[in-house]
Amino acid sequence: MSPLLIVAAAVVALLLYVIVSYNKLVRLRNECAEGFSSIDVQLKRRADLVPNLVESVKAYASHENTVFTRVTEARAATLAAASIPQKEAAHVLMQSALTGLLGIAEAYPELRAVETFTALQAELSDTEDKIAAARRYYNATTRRYNTALDQIPTNVIAGATGFERREFFSIEDPADREPVAVKL
Amino acid sequence: MTLQQQIRANRFRTALVLLGFAVLVAALALAISVAYEPGLAGFIGIGAIAYGIFSWFFAGRMVAAASGAHRVTKEQYPELHRTVENAAIGAGMPRTPDIYVIEDTAPNAFAAGRDPKHAYVAATTGLMEKLSKRELEGVIAHEIAHIRNRDVRLMSLAAVLVGVIALVSDMLMRMTLFGGGRNREGNALTMVVGIAAMILAPIGAMLLQMSLSRRREYLADASAAEITGDGEGLALALAKLRDDHTPLHKVTRATAHLYIESPLRDHKGLRSSLGGLFDTHPPLEERISRLAEAGGFPAP
Repeated sequence: MSPLLIVAAAVVALLLYVIVSYNKLVRLRNECAEGFSSIDVQLKRRADLVPNLVESVKAYASHENTVFTRVTEARAATLAAASIPQKEAAHVLMQSALTGLLGIAEAYPELRAVETFTALQAELSDTEDKIAAARRYYNATTRRYNTALDQIPTNVIAGATGFERREFFSIEDPADREPVAVKL
Repeated sequence: MTLQQQIRANRFRTALVLLGFAVLVAALALAISVAYEPGLAGFIGIGAIAYGIFSWFFAGRMVAAASGAHRVTKEQYPELHRTVENAAIGAGMPRTPDIYVIEDTAPNAFAAGRDPKHAYVAATTGLMEKLSKRELEGVIAHEIAHIRNRDVRLMSLAAVLVGVIALVSDMLMRMTLFGGGRNREGNALTMVVGIAAMILAPIGAMLLQMSLSRRREYLADASAAEITGDGEGLALALAKLRDDHTPLHKVTRATAHLYIESPLRDHKGLRSSLGGLFDTHPPLEERISRLAEAGGFPAP
């Protein structure tokens, strides 16, 4: 084999490797985006439950205005948020506001007997579960994507083609930011 | 092994299963034509191809029919529906799979179907009764992981292709042994060839099916722990399945490998005397301890 052929083969192999790695990064980036939109759907769904929840609690505890205002504000923040940090901030706000709202409900046994309220409460807790599930998927995917961006040699390809790190969404355990080795 | 690698490996193995099916059918056709009538081979070949194509599209439904699973709505089983929905979100699947229920007190579950768009999760009523919410989430996440990892097509195809080979060769073996062969008085050698092939075909089919199961169970367990973020829930569920010995009624060798835990574990007749060689599932103890090790909790 002539040296030229060897060089040509090496160049082709390198090129193929670059293409495969690039495609992998694109795929991971898309998965992150899909994962985030799934969180977004659930955040909106939760925000949509707020007006009805407020209405039903108001019927029994109309004087608790600060709590209602907080929840309504959190809802507005959720709907207005555009970037990931904004959405995360709105999510934290909403969580504490809802905790306050449900805390009031605890104090009114007659409210807990109202069917519409218990149905709303069940739907709320289901939505919270879905947010948690979507968040887990998004954070796991983001971790994989960020790890790929850090690794040699994909980091060179990523740097040259403009891939950027993604931010985690409201992660509880700091250890979850670190890449994990899956043992099989 | 990453998810993408697993998906690729599954495609490759699906091709192998189809090839294996073709080889076994050929062996069977040869045996039949030698023992009975040479012209039969062509018919068997055409029939097998038609059946193969049919199976590719309808394996999921065939499995449902064979295991007595029927489709249920969100209103009938809201709790189960919610669990499946949440696991699908946690796995990043764009669509919630259909949900099937088997009326049986034995706690067990499986997933089947052609691809993530045409897949379903089936659970027994016993599973819903006996498991806590957390444990049910673990089991359902395991099944969702099978769907996401593209295990379902391979497993469903194996079930229906192996099933039909087992059925046909069983029938033929009886015919050969208890009369009905036209060439009985003829060449003894052809009879020996025929019988040998008829015995080998089901064994080959079983080996084919077994080659599918074990590692994908470990992988689905690990994926389930990631989906729910709670490996201990699944480990507790597996421990409960280990301690429960209620037999599942509608189960055959062909569908056993689909379930989260082998329904033939306690079945003396169907569980081969060869022991571990024919087991479709890794031992529950081993699966539990792997989950415990990865999750850092004591094995239940």
